[in-house]
Amino acid sequence: MIEFKNLKKAFGDNVVLDGVDLLVNEGETLALLGPSGTGKSVLLKHAIGLLEADEGDVVVDGISISSATVEELKGVRRRLGYVFQNAALFDSLTVAENLCLAQDDENLTRGVSGCHQEAVDLLRRVNMPADVLDKMPSELSGGMRKRVGVARAIASQPRYLLWDEPTTGLDPVNADNIDELILELGRELGVTSIVVTHDLDTAFEVGDRIALLYEGRIRALGTPQEMLANTDPIVMRFVRRSSIAAA
Amino acid sequence: MSAKVRAWLENVGNAALMGWAIARVLPYPRQYLASALSQAYNMGIRSLPLVLIMAFLGGAVTSQQTGAQFTGGLPLWVIGSVLAASVLTELGPLLTAIVMMARVGAAIAAELASMKVTEQIDALYAMGRDPISFLVVPRVVAGLLVFPPLVILADFTGIAAGWGVGLLAVDGLTSADIIFGMRFYFRPWSLFFSVLKGGVFGLAITFIACYVGLQGTGGAEGVGRTTTTAVVATTLALMVLDVLMAPVLKAF
Repeated sequence: MIEFKNLKKAFGDNVVLDGVDLLVNEGETLALLGPSGTGKSVLLKHAIGLLEADEGDVVVDGISISSATVEELKGVRRRLGYVFQNAALFDSLTVAENLCLAQDDENLTRGVSGCHQEAVDLLRRVNMPADVLDKMPSELSGGMRKRVGVARAIASQPRYLLWDEPTTGLDPVNADNIDELILELGRELGVTSIVVTHDLDTAFEVGDRIALLYEGRIRALGTPQEMLANTDPIVMRFVRRSSIAAA
Repeated sequence: MSAKVRAWLENVGNAALMGWAIARVLPYPRQYLASALSQAYNMGIRSLPLVLIMAFLGGAVTSQQTGAQFTGGLPLWVIGSVLAASVLTELGPLLTAIVMMARVGAAIAAELASMKVTEQIDALYAMGRDPISFLVVPRVVAGLLVFPPLVILADFTGIAAGWGVGLLAVDGLTSADIIFGMRFYFRPWSLFFSVLKGGVFGLAITFIACYVGLQGTGGAEGVGRTTTTAVVATTLALMVLDVLMAPVLKAF
């Protein structure tokens, strides 16, 4: 369970998060919607301790991120898989090395040859062929990089997956494929996911619940149907465009 | 307190923390040795031709200028003393450091800044990996490994070049003069000092490059700005260290 408690974060005078309260239940996929620049990714980065909150806290499986020791934080991070917006693959390493680096320490010490099979399995899980293992990230298309990023995120067999704009910059076919992948991984691995997106189609496709982050706070939270039925003008304006897709 | 002073103090504090973080990883070579050796190969072997060229030119200039300035005023064997003293205590380590700063320091800063702005550093954290042990320690250790041998080779090349060019360019200068002058000046401590200086410079270059690189922000422009900052900060640091180390030469 991941709980954001009155989370506040400002960069200089720019208040990005102004008291976010949000509970992500075990096993669910929560889509976090919001206009660009409202702090969705900032919120996600607090969950994994990449950013420090000015006030408030994030609690993951009972561990407070703001007061966690280095070892506790490391443990939390091993339970969380983070899919970065632009994949954030290590561009000086091959796909195989990227995947091996994400595995546990025991596999890592065996080197690339030692974790080859695990890397192949990870690629298969994200529907990619094994022949990309020796390629550099720069040799992959945007969609393929995203998939390798997903494979890397699930390498440590996380309980939680944090998706940062997983479909941004992808063509509709690849975006659909990523949506499918989110659903598939949720079903097969039973992971709890937070999907940060401003893509309404993705939010309504994958989200068991949808939260709308607006002006630093959670403006609305509910199932896709509840969000469609919400009469708040801000929510209505935001979700109206997706009503056809949801139908 | 002005914002600039506060920012400077913050940098000093953060650099000290990074130094402490590096020191904590050092007792566990299994975490970084393979990567450090690979970095050392890249830094050392690939920089060697340029280091030797610079050392050759530095030695060649020294013997010619000493000859031009001292001929008629002082015995010619002084050229041998000045050549050995200049190359061992100053030119060898400093020219090596300048080459390494331009070739290695700038590359490290740009690489790490680029990793920072493309969230690769965040990705390491997210995987529960420590960027200090994965990225910084191997580079700093590599710097410490390659600088002393590079400086020794630069010293040897600089002296040989100064010797050869001196014989060609300074009227009346003989190899016997050079050898006498060098033996008259030489103390083993000079050679140790040269290597020590190289080690300190190597540490400074890789440490500053890593620290500044990890502070990178923004996009491509930010990477460029970070690289410039690293080169400027390292240049300044090298000269300050050069001054601070001068008394050490006299100490033995």
